[in-house]
Amino acid sequence: MARFLTIGERIHVISPVIRKALQERDPKPIIDRAREQVEAGAHYLDVNIGPADRDGEELMPWVVKLLQQEFPNTPLCLDTANTKALEAGIKVYDRKAGKPIINSADAGSRIGMIDLAAQYDAMVIGLCAKEGIPRDNDERIQYCTEILDRAMSAGLDPENILFDPLFVVVKGMQDKQQEVLEALRQITEMGFKTTGGLSNVSNGCPKELRGLIEATFCAMAIQCGLTSAIINPCNKMLMDIIKTADVIKGRNLYCDSYLEL
Amino acid sequence: MPYKKPSQKFGGKIREVTIGSGLKLGGESTLPFYSFDGDTGAKPAIGMEIWDIFPESWPQSLKNIFGEYAHDPVKWAKYCIEKSNPDFICIKLEGASPEGNNKSPEECAAVVKRLADEITLPLVIAGCDSDEKNASVFTKVAEAVPDKNYVFLSAVEANYKEVGAAAGMAYGNIVSAESSVDLNLAKQLNILITQLGVKPERMVMNPGCSAVGYGFEYVVTTMDRIRLAALDQNDVTLQMPIISPVSFETWKVKESAATENDMPEWGNQEARGIAMEVATAAGVLATGSNAVILRHPRSVEVIRNFIEELTA
Repeated sequence: MARFLTIGERIHVISPVIRKALQERDPKPIIDRAREQVEAGAHYLDVNIGPADRDGEELMPWVVKLLQQEFPNTPLCLDTANTKALEAGIKVYDRKAGKPIINSADAGSRIGMIDLAAQYDAMVIGLCAKEGIPRDNDERIQYCTEILDRAMSAGLDPENILFDPLFVVVKGMQDKQQEVLEALRQITEMGFKTTGGLSNVSNGCPKELRGLIEATFCAMAIQCGLTSAIINPCNKMLMDIIKTADVIKGRNLYCDSYLEL
Repeated sequence: MPYKKPSQKFGGKIREVTIGSGLKLGGESTLPFYSFDGDTGAKPAIGMEIWDIFPESWPQSLKNIFGEYAHDPVKWAKYCIEKSNPDFICIKLEGASPEGNNKSPEECAAVVKRLADEITLPLVIAGCDSDEKNASVFTKVAEAVPDKNYVFLSAVEANYKEVGAAAGMAYGNIVSAESSVDLNLAKQLNILITQLGVKPERMVMNPGCSAVGYGFEYVVTTMDRIRLAALDQNDVTLQMPIISPVSFETWKVKESAATENDMPEWGNQEARGIAMEVATAAGVLATGSNAVILRHPRSVEVIRNFIEELTA
């Protein structure tokens, strides 16, 4: 069984520092953000450039090349709704360290991303949603199936899809948390890989609680089958819990120094 | 639809380590001898065990074969090479034992230096039963034969710092990390030795060995799990080639050591010793050993044939 896959979320256009660096094509803040995540143990780095309607086709290849030059052993997760920008990014992407991940497809307007993944032999995050947050798990599984159907007709091996049941905020949607975990269990029982954005869960909570909430949710989700997550790798407690869960799940052989690896 | 033969592919690969001037160990990305599934790497190697002192404690049958040469390790090694053509020689510095001859590290180093000068095969240098003494002996020996890629058997939890620093770092040789049939400790020791600064390509491992019938199932499951972690989980801390000192274990157990006078119903003593050595070696090879150390020329012949047949 493969180890838990971590996707570092910190190169995101929502961060003012990153937004400015992307706009000005300033490598340093982006590389610094990447380095702290790589050093913290992130397997993949997510690169969110936003919709980038104006210059996405030029921006995505620039940032892909920049990061791959500096971190040739760290594969990337290309995060934008702009198909042309994704395509341009994948074209310059070096696969030596691993396939690119497209973030993301859904069962609605972004289902075409499945075709893109098939066309370029990429992995893709399949958001089990169509418009907004799915109402219940019947909807989630329905969308999951629609994504699968599309993958089958596009010739994409489901091994390449990370199904995201859409994690929801605990502060406000407390009653939905168990449902999300149950969706993970159902998708896992179907034999598929899963992922999700952990910061969704703790959104709006006080800073000192966010790390704890994400780590706890992650541990519970792993037991329900979660195989990867989009995370802040600089949250050491979360990383230690992920490593410990890998040991308890038998995905990594125990030794006294397992946290140091 | 035509039949498509399934094959099991792993993400991990055992590191290829070169000992001496060109003997390669490891390199496989599949289970032992599974050539139908993938690359089985270098052919497993066979070494022959000699001692720095006359092996009084060995069964008479072995002394009948080697006795004439065994007063001088160089003559002994040359006889083994001429008669059995092994891939490497394992010189066990039994004379260093504080309980026995208690030879100094300098004396041990001189023996190994002579061997290094006289024979071209790679050497595997094994210590005595004292971890503390081995630390000082290995330090001197490594210094006497620098940059030879000789294997030092072994670094254990009690002395890995000294052995790792001398053999693996200062003097350009190879460290074997030894644990006693404990897979968690095997992994931990590899990590500690690499954290010390020894490069993984300068390491092999001995995760413990026993004679068949003496906890051997435990040895096999331990090795099996180590190999599966290395290949299936791509655990880089366990991707070192494995060396198994089979003869150290099999010739001291009663099946090999009891004379025909003591155990007339057990049959010929020499045949029993060979059988124990061959059965153990075949077992560890089939579970992932990349090199075995043997004593009896007949065992070498049988195991070589076993390897040839399975890698043909």
